Amino acid sequence: MTRRWAAYTLLLALAAALLALSGDAYLLRIATLVGIYAIAAIGFQLVFGRLGLLALSQGAFFAIGAYVLGLTTTVWGWPPLLALAAAVIVPAVAGALVALPAARLETHYVALATLGLSQLVLLAVTNLDVTGGANGLYGVPVLTVLDGEIADGWPMLLTVWTGVALALGVFALTVRGVRAARFSTLRDAPHAARALGLDPIRARLTLFAVAAALGGLAGGFQALGLGVVSPAVARFDVMISLLAIAVVGGRGSAWGAIAGAVVLIPLPELFRGLEQAYLLGYGIVLLAVIVAWPHGIDGLVRRWLPDTGPARPAPRPPSRPAPAALRVEAVTKRFGGVQALDRVDLVARPGEVTGLIGANGSGKTTLMNIVSGLERPDSGILRLGAVPLLGRRAPARARLGLARGFQHPELPSDVTVLDAASVAGDRAAGLWALDRVGLEALADRPVASLGPADSRLFDIARALAAGPSVLLLDEPAAGLTAPQRARLSRLLRSLADDGMAVVVVEHGMDFLLPLADTLVCLDAGRVIAAGPVDAVRRDPAVIAAYLGQEAAA
Amino acid sequence: MSDRTQSGLVIDGLTVVRSGAVVVDAARFAVAPGEVVALIGGNGAGKSSLLRAIAGADPVRGGTVRLDGRDLSDLALEQRVRAGIGWCPEGRRLFPGLTVEETLDVAALDDRGRRSAAIARVLELFPVLSERRTALAWTLSGGQQQMLTIARALVSSPKAILLDEPSLGLAPVVLDDVFAAVARMAGDGLAVLLAEQNVPRALAVADRVLVMRRGVIALDLPADRLTPEAAVLATLDASDDAAYEEAEQNLER
Amino acid sequence: MIETALIETAAQLVVTALALGSTYALVALGFVLIINAVGAVNFAHGDLVMAAGFVTVALVTLLPAETALPGLVLLPGVMAVMALVALVLAALAYLPLRKGPPTSVFISTIAVGLILQHGIQLTAGPQPRVGPPLVGGGWVEGGGLLVSHQQIATVAVAALLVAAVHGLLHRTRFGRRLRAAAQDPELARALGINLAVTIAATFAIAGALAGGAGLLLSHQYFVTPTDGAGLMLKAYIATVIGGWGRVWGAALAALAIALFEVLVAAAVSYLVAEALLYIGVLAVLMARPRGLFGEAEGRRA
Repeated sequence: MTRRWAAYTLLLALAAALLALSGDAYLLRIATLVGIYAIAAIGFQLVFGRLGLLALSQGAFFAIGAYVLGLTTTVWGWPPLLALAAAVIVPAVAGALVALPAARLETHYVALATLGLSQLVLLAVTNLDVTGGANGLYGVPVLTVLDGEIADGWPMLLTVWTGVALALGVFALTVRGVRAARFSTLRDAPHAARALGLDPIRARLTLFAVAAALGGLAGGFQALGLGVVSPAVARFDVMISLLAIAVVGGRGSAWGAIAGAVVLIPLPELFRGLEQAYLLGYGIVLLAVIVAWPHGIDGLVRRWLPDTGPARPAPRPPSRPAPAALRVEAVTKRFGGVQALDRVDLVARPGEVTGLIGANGSGKTTLMNIVSGLERPDSGILRLGAVPLLGRRAPARARLGLARGFQHPELPSDVTVLDAASVAGDRAAGLWALDRVGLEALADRPVASLGPADSRLFDIARALAAGPSVLLLDEPAAGLTAPQRARLSRLLRSLADDGMAVVVVEHGMDFLLPLADTLVCLDAGRVIAAGPVDAVRRDPAVIAAYLGQEAAA
Repeated sequence: MSDRTQSGLVIDGLTVVRSGAVVVDAARFAVAPGEVVALIGGNGAGKSSLLRAIAGADPVRGGTVRLDGRDLSDLALEQRVRAGIGWCPEGRRLFPGLTVEETLDVAALDDRGRRSAAIARVLELFPVLSERRTALAWTLSGGQQQMLTIARALVSSPKAILLDEPSLGLAPVVLDDVFAAVARMAGDGLAVLLAEQNVPRALAVADRVLVMRRGVIALDLPADRLTPEAAVLATLDASDDAAYEEAEQNLER
Repeated sequence: MIETALIETAAQLVVTALALGSTYALVALGFVLIINAVGAVNFAHGDLVMAAGFVTVALVTLLPAETALPGLVLLPGVMAVMALVALVLAALAYLPLRKGPPTSVFISTIAVGLILQHGIQLTAGPQPRVGPPLVGGGWVEGGGLLVSHQQIATVAVAALLVAAVHGLLHRTRFGRRLRAAAQDPELARALGINLAVTIAATFAIAGALAGGAGLLLSHQYFVTPTDGAGLMLKAYIATVIGGWGRVWGAALAALAIALFEVLVAAAVSYLVAEALLYIGVLAVLMARPRGLFGEAEGRRA
């Protein structure tokens, strides 16, 4: 596919040839072990590298896979191939179950929760009778496929490495195309992601389940390869090895996982006789790599053989939903003793720009958060067209046609402007949206390199690519130059003319007053005026609370 | 060459390069004690970068920063504060777990005796903060938070203060208080360098204006020589011809 | 009669739990300090405590055999050595990564933990060692209870240090400057705070706390090279349950965890106690994603 893939494949073929020439059975066993760890580490890269979660449970899924295979074959007499399938499915289900609570946690809690889970698995397999206690399970049969026994040595090695190829394929499928950018957005820009309709729970369920399935497959192979399952597979050392492989190979990279396994798994053999001393070696290598070489082996390879992006599609607007009005009725919200919003009403009609003004702390951002679903009101009604919104989560509201731009846009760290703009639609829609805000020339740049003004425009483009019927913007003109403001003003006007309902929170009256059709002014959580711009700007209450004499003139 | 014994803040040849691009190009100007110098320019013109470089927050390619004749160029950010440069970075950046009083205490310099005097003096300057001295910083309103960030920079008794967009995100009614505070600081003899997007407000309070374009200080004028309209025009990037013409036409109307 | 015996047993268990909880609190203390002052998770903290135990055991051989209060005499030395070790840890595993994502420091400190654990195992061997008591090895008897001097010393030292660390962070200007530096390093510098000094001071103090904890533990519970991970896990759980970054919260949670462990272990088995503890942590995190009592610094913009 890419030159990087070709290079890695060539290196692996070379290693296989050398292995065949040496004909050493011991080396074959190590090469098989490398493949087993590579499979589990590829899975770990999905959660650790792509979701950015330090989930220390991959070792536990490895152990669950090994024990499922051991139990089903030795105790229940299942055929090994069926048992291997179970060793994939059971951890996948367990992974999905873990993802639900872990999905809501921040890194330092994810690490603890998954660590606790690993301890539970270790306690269980060491102490339950059914798992054979400290002795483990003996007599795991040899894998048979179509009546053919897969013996130790080359047959097992090739089977395991077929599993590695499968894992690579699953990995590529999971993060293909614009999906990689979606995961990056979920990881680095969680609020924006939800407002764009990306579902963090679904993403985490998918990645945890796939990661755990690969961990289980590796564990199953381990049990088949050794013929026994002992509590050693559940020890934290396995997790440490996988973490070291992922970091040394390069975070988030599947090929990096293979490279890391090739480098690190033979290491214990160098320290033979000094029991656990290889872990000292892992510690030193891990520390050295993360400090001096944070992108790992694959980072270096990528610098030599960079991936080229796919060809650009023709820009195409996203399918536009039917125009719909946003209605806010009697929305109330208290924070502790503070009345943040007090029975607020607001209507944003299609074809109009509705300005939302008010002093800092008057409740504008709280209202925006409630409308987009990032916060819940204490009471009130929200509707988009005829559809009630309050029972729906932020991603569901986004998919109904509600889009939002942020005052300080969050940007994913490792994707291009085009990919990042396409996460709510496809690349054709992303390109169309970039063109609309005037950023198409920067489409291939890393999105993290955008300056503050451009990232604001980018944030709007990424919302437009979803094809919204209502667009909410929070201080879009702050920090823009006069020509940039003029261009933004024209853009918002034309979006409204296309039938979109545009809501703008803004302090810059020189920007907002000529643009808006209607104004709503909040003060201390209450609407003190609403209606056509000219009426609201002359309202004495608005002048006193917000505008001051000068701006009203 | 500028006079080495000149009082106030003297910048000479300050150059900042970021990932290959020159973002501040040989800036050269002075801010005298008691003077307010407004620094205006479009987004990305280099205002923040210039302020950060003077404060010592970012490395520079070359040039000197002097305060009352003393060369501060080799000092790190935290040392320049002790040498008398106060820096109010863009955005409010408060410490959420600290009260108003604790914030000021943390920001004051180490001498215990002078510290309480400095805090008392600053609270006198901002009566709003004095009323809310035991409130946690994040519970303050936007305007009060901005006051606190300015007070925080003042409590180390600097001789020069760098303000980076103090009006950003504030309601029009609160702006009066912020710019009144700027004028008071100059009245107390500080050299004030004020980077602002709100050109009319900045001109109203400033003695002199620096106009920055693409990293270059293009104009250095007394504030009364420049109308707000002309100043806005001057900040426009000349490469953006269409926008430039449009703005010019708008002005003529 | 049976009832009195039961009450006496229960009271004895509470004493045991109090001493155990105090050691958990001591371990958690240095961990929480680093969270507060540099905003990083030091996963090697349990291994620092373990290393302190071995430093204590090694230093004992330097003392003349008839020294009356071996632990108390060694305490300053152990704390000083561990402060140095923690400074080295900061230089190797924290400083180069402090501008990167938080998981990096997490991983680098896991690496340091591995190095400490297996380095000590290679040099000192895997067998348990015992350190000297802090103030002699006697017992106090009263009301049917038997309390060792070491238990009293552990609880007293833990209470003293928890109060001291809380006071340092919240009642002193230095502590507020530490917290400010953790929240916004650049801004802290803009206020004249020297980050190198605050970071070094934080790690040195955390190391010294680990030193005290290790010395106390090495007598009461022995010390083996593999102890670090288990200690770390308990301190970590205490920190999460007590409210991320809250000193008193972590200390009280440490006591609660120990009480739970000791009582369940006595009633059923140690194994069940461990399992229930982990299940409990998972349940807490599921119900309250930010811990039972929320985080110390409100993260509001």
